[in-house]
Amino acid sequence: MLVTRRSILWTVLGLAVAIAILMWKPTILVYGIERAGLYAAVAIPMALVLGIVHIVNLSHGEFMMVAAYATYFSARALKIDPYLALLPVSLVMALFGYVVYRLTIRQALKAPELNQLILTFGIAIALSQTVNLLFTGQSWKMSLSYVSASMSIGAYDFGVYDFVFVAAAILLAVGLRLFLTRTKMGKAALAVGQNAKGAAIVGIDVDRTYAFVFALAVGLVGALGAMFLTKQAIFPGVGGPYTMKSFCLVAMAGVGNITGVLWGSLALGLAEASMNGVRELRDWSSIVFFVLIIATILVRSVKEKKA
Amino acid sequence: MKKFVVALAVLALVAGASFGQNVIKIGAHWPLSDPGSAESAKAAQMAVDEINKAGGVAGKQLQLIVVDDEAKGDKGVAAIEKLVTVDKVDVLFGGFTSGVEAAIVPTLKKYGIVTVATGAATSGLVENPLGPSPDSDFYFHLHPWDYQQSQSEVDGFAALAKKYPAVKTQKLFIAYEEGAFGAPSFKGWKALLEPQGFTVDGASFKSALQGGSDYSGALQAAKDFKPDMFWWIGYAPDALPLLEQAKAMKFSPPIYLGAPPSWPADMAASPLAENTMLFGMWSPAMNKISPVSKKFYDAYSTAFKVAPVSYFSALSYSGIYILAEAIKKAGGVDKAKLIAALEQTKYVSPLGQTITFTASKVIKHQGIQNQKILQWQKGAQEIIWPFEAQSAPLTYPLPAWK
Repeated sequence: MLVTRRSILWTVLGLAVAIAILMWKPTILVYGIERAGLYAAVAIPMALVLGIVHIVNLSHGEFMMVAAYATYFSARALKIDPYLALLPVSLVMALFGYVVYRLTIRQALKAPELNQLILTFGIAIALSQTVNLLFTGQSWKMSLSYVSASMSIGAYDFGVYDFVFVAAAILLAVGLRLFLTRTKMGKAALAVGQNAKGAAIVGIDVDRTYAFVFALAVGLVGALGAMFLTKQAIFPGVGGPYTMKSFCLVAMAGVGNITGVLWGSLALGLAEASMNGVRELRDWSSIVFFVLIIATILVRSVKEKKA
Repeated sequence: MKKFVVALAVLALVAGASFGQNVIKIGAHWPLSDPGSAESAKAAQMAVDEINKAGGVAGKQLQLIVVDDEAKGDKGVAAIEKLVTVDKVDVLFGGFTSGVEAAIVPTLKKYGIVTVATGAATSGLVENPLGPSPDSDFYFHLHPWDYQQSQSEVDGFAALAKKYPAVKTQKLFIAYEEGAFGAPSFKGWKALLEPQGFTVDGASFKSALQGGSDYSGALQAAKDFKPDMFWWIGYAPDALPLLEQAKAMKFSPPIYLGAPPSWPADMAASPLAENTMLFGMWSPAMNKISPVSKKFYDAYSTAFKVAPVSYFSALSYSGIYILAEAIKKAGGVDKAKLIAALEQTKYVSPLGQTITFTASKVIKHQGIQNQKILQWQKGAQEIIWPFEAQSAPLTYPLPAWK
């Protein structure tokens, strides 16, 4: 009953905020949701790896960058739309993720967390420097007319293309939930994530599950890399900030909490867009991201202490 | 056998020493992952090869030693230390970012080796620490300082407004990246333009280089302002996403101008770039009016199987020739003689202007003092101003997005 009341309270509060923003500046709501979609879509695969493999993958954004480069050059060579390259690139990235897991991550699973962090940080540097060597620091951007799709509400004209990231985030969240709760491999992954030793005792191949989940996450972030390319210019360092944002969101949501990532992204997206929409506060919009994260983690720590 | 080895070693040492005496070493640094800097390094090497093929200077061959400064101050300092103490270069050359140049100024001053700098525009970071003559007399700065660029661009738009009466320039909105490049530039522009009667407003955005992806706040503020001119100061990855969002928001100001240090590879191919404007010092369009530019362009294209696109390539190529001519005039690399010879420089450059060194606000040896206004037309950067270098007429206003 308490949970229901709280849910209703949050829903009403959320709706009130949405209506207030809509009345004030409808574009803030639009851009806030669009930002949230991008943040959540990129962060969800990281949450999956952290929740099940228990590794903070600091090369997460770099995998996205590599996928974006692969998509760009294959789409350009074959003269096709990047979306047509999305599935093949995603599969290749999943395979790449599997190889990276086998060769590196697997060796560090029992190592201290700091070693794991250094390992994935090293992978990030290796990926970005390799791309830098191969393609220089030049930035690349495909010109696609559909990314400028727009809509008008009253006097406001705004872009709507970024809603593809909202759709991707929802699809990822729902798809992963179904995978984890309805499939044999998903249930095994969930069990391994909760208690690896216990899972091994009941006959689940933990190592195989880890490899599959890591490859799946890299494949998913690879698909997002292909989508990311349609909207943004790519360059060797493009993935780094998204690793940082994803890590912060995952930390804010709690380990492996995919729904939490969605809500956290929405809060951050709306907060940033609101700051961005107010002239005097615009320069502070980058800081709000970290202020909200620090506040959330602090509140959670206090609650846990009390409990 | 032992005697033979010793004799061989002595011979090698003597040959090495005499080879060293026959070479003038130029130590250069750039962030080589930057496309403009990579072009700079190639163009400088091309100039060195051309000069050596023609017999060298002062009876010696030139040797270019390039170190990657990675656009990091500490790496820049290490590069200079290595070039001076290990490679024992005779002159220093190159540079791109103001941040690195600011970091290396104390080291440059410590050694006082004659330096021809090709980059670094932020006067507050570089020119002021260099200080006035005679302390900074070893330093010859080719690229215009920020305040010189700004004033020349203002002059350019005034000239355009005079020639094309329909052109309005009084109301300016600047969208600028919030970091060390955009924010000080905006302040500088505002301080320069408002006393000259311009109405200036601006808004910051987070550059894609720092993980930004949404320019809507700055673009909406610009749209509400209804400017005559919209300028943006950011980096190459911002160029096309900004245009795409401007189109989505139906924001098409009469003049849309970008001022990044370099452009994305696909800018020319984008239909959205058509009729937008930019600042620069050189583009391949210069070939239409300058035989020196055409000669440089053709030689570069033949040597590297790819055409140069950045003005930094033409600037570095010019710098090596300026240095070579001065060494020839000085009869070597004696510091005082070389400085005196460089002061007499009159080099007809591929940039469409004759380069000389005159005093700027602080230092005594400033090369180029102005920028050009260019416009993307049919995938090419056409020169619009100065009129003596104009390669195509201005297209105005920017048509509404279709």
